[in-house]
Amino acid sequence: MTREEVFEQVKSILVETLSVDEDKVTMDARFQEDLETDSLDLVELVMTMEDKFGIKITDEEAAEIKTVGDAVDFVMGRLG
Amino acid sequence: MMAEARLLTPHDIQAALTAQKAGVTVRVAVDALGGDHAPEIVVDGVLQAANALLKVLLVGPEGRLRELLAGRESPFVEIVDAADRIASGDEPVEAVRGKPGSSLVTAVRLTSEGAAEACFSAGNTGAMLAAGMLHVHRIKGVMRPAICTLLPAVPLPVVFLDAGANADVRPEHLRQFAVMGQVFAHEVLGIADPTVGLLSIGEEPGKGNAVTIEAHKLIAADPQINFFGNVEGHQLVQRTVDVIVADGFAGNIALKVFEGTAKTIVSEIRKAVSGSGRAKVGAAIMAPDLRRIGAALDPEEYGGAYLLGLRRPLIIGHGSSRAKGVANGIRTASRGVTSELLPTLAARIEAAGAQAP
Repeated sequence: MTREEVFEQVKSILVETLSVDEDKVTMDARFQEDLETDSLDLVELVMTMEDKFGIKITDEEAAEIKTVGDAVDFVMGRLG
Repeated sequence: MMAEARLLTPHDIQAALTAQKAGVTVRVAVDALGGDHAPEIVVDGVLQAANALLKVLLVGPEGRLRELLAGRESPFVEIVDAADRIASGDEPVEAVRGKPGSSLVTAVRLTSEGAAEACFSAGNTGAMLAAGMLHVHRIKGVMRPAICTLLPAVPLPVVFLDAGANADVRPEHLRQFAVMGQVFAHEVLGIADPTVGLLSIGEEPGKGNAVTIEAHKLIAADPQINFFGNVEGHQLVQRTVDVIVADGFAGNIALKVFEGTAKTIVSEIRKAVSGSGRAKVGAAIMAPDLRRIGAALDPEEYGGAYLLGLRRPLIIGHGSSRAKGVANGIRTASRGVTSELLPTLAARIEAAGAQAP
C-alpha cells in the first residue's frame, strides 16, 4: 500500500466512523486540536485501524500518535 | 393531527416504550453481572421479560447462571458463558480494552456481530458507552452519542438527553441531541411532532452560558426541529415540552437532583402515613392516588436509558434496578429494534448533515 492509499483509509475511518469533517483531514491535522476528537475517539480510531490493517497498536504506541500523518507513518512502518 | 393517538398517562408511555411487534422476534443480549443485585435479580428480570417474541442471550458465568435458572429454565433464554466482570468503579476505556471476556463486553459484541439485535446492562455506564462506541460504533454523522432517559415528570414523563455521556459539548452537539431526542419521542413513544426545549437558566434566548446561547441559535434555525425555546429546571418536573436537551454535565446533575428529590418525598410520605392512626385512615382513603404518584415517580417503570446515536439499541439500566426494572429495560431494548428508531435517526442525521453550513 502506498502512503497515499493508507492516508485515504485513515481518512475514511475518521469520516465514516468518527464523523469528522472530511475537509479538515490533512496529513498535518492534529487529532485533538484540529479534528476535535476526544480520548475515546482516539481509542476507537486505533481499534478500527487494528482491524482494517491487521496490525496491533499498544497503548504506548497509540499515545505517540498525535497527527493524521503520525497514524499514516505508523501503519506504513508496520506494513513494511 | 386528530388521527394520532395522544398519550394520556404514564402507563401509555410505559406501554409504548416496551411494546412488542406481532410476528417479529427480537434477541436481546443481557449482561448478567451488571448492577448492584446481579446476577440474581438480573436472572429474575430476564425470566419476566423473555417470551416467544423476545429471546434473551444471558451473558455471564455459565455454572452460576445454570444454578440460578435451575427448575425454571425458559426455552426463550440461552446462556452465553463469560466469566469476567467489569466492576462499577472500573475505569471505562481501560476495562473495555482490558477485559474483552467480561460479560458486559461480550454482550455488546454479540450485539455488534449480529447474534443479538440489542443489548441491556445495569452495570458500569461509562463502560457501556465505551463498549458501544468501540464495538457497535455510532451511526454515520453522529458526533456524540447521548444518554437518553425518561424523567418521570407529572403528568407525563419527559424525554431527557444527555443524562451524562458528554460532560463538555459544542453547540452543534446540542443541536444533534435535539434531533435525536425528537426522533426518539416520535418513533418510540409515538408522540406527534414532539416539542423540544433547551435546558438553561432563563427562558429568553440570551440566557445561559456561551455554549447554550449559541446552541439556542442553531436549534432555532433548524427547520427540522419543533423548538419551544429555553426551559428552566422546574420544567423538568412540570411538563411543558416533550423533549429536553442539555449537556451531559448539567444533565446528569439535573437527573440526580430529580431522582434524589423524588426518592426523599416518597420516603417521607411513607413515613408520614405509617405514623398516627389518623394518618393511616387518611392513607387508606388516598391509597389509589398515593400508588399512582409512587408509580409515576418510579424510575423502574421505564427500565433504562438509551445510548442514542449508536448503530444498535444499547440500554443502560439503573445500578439499583430490581427485577421489574431489568425486565422493563430488556423490553425497552427490544422496542428499539421493532420501532423505526434507528433507520429514522440515520436518515435525519444524514439530512441534517447535508444542510449544515
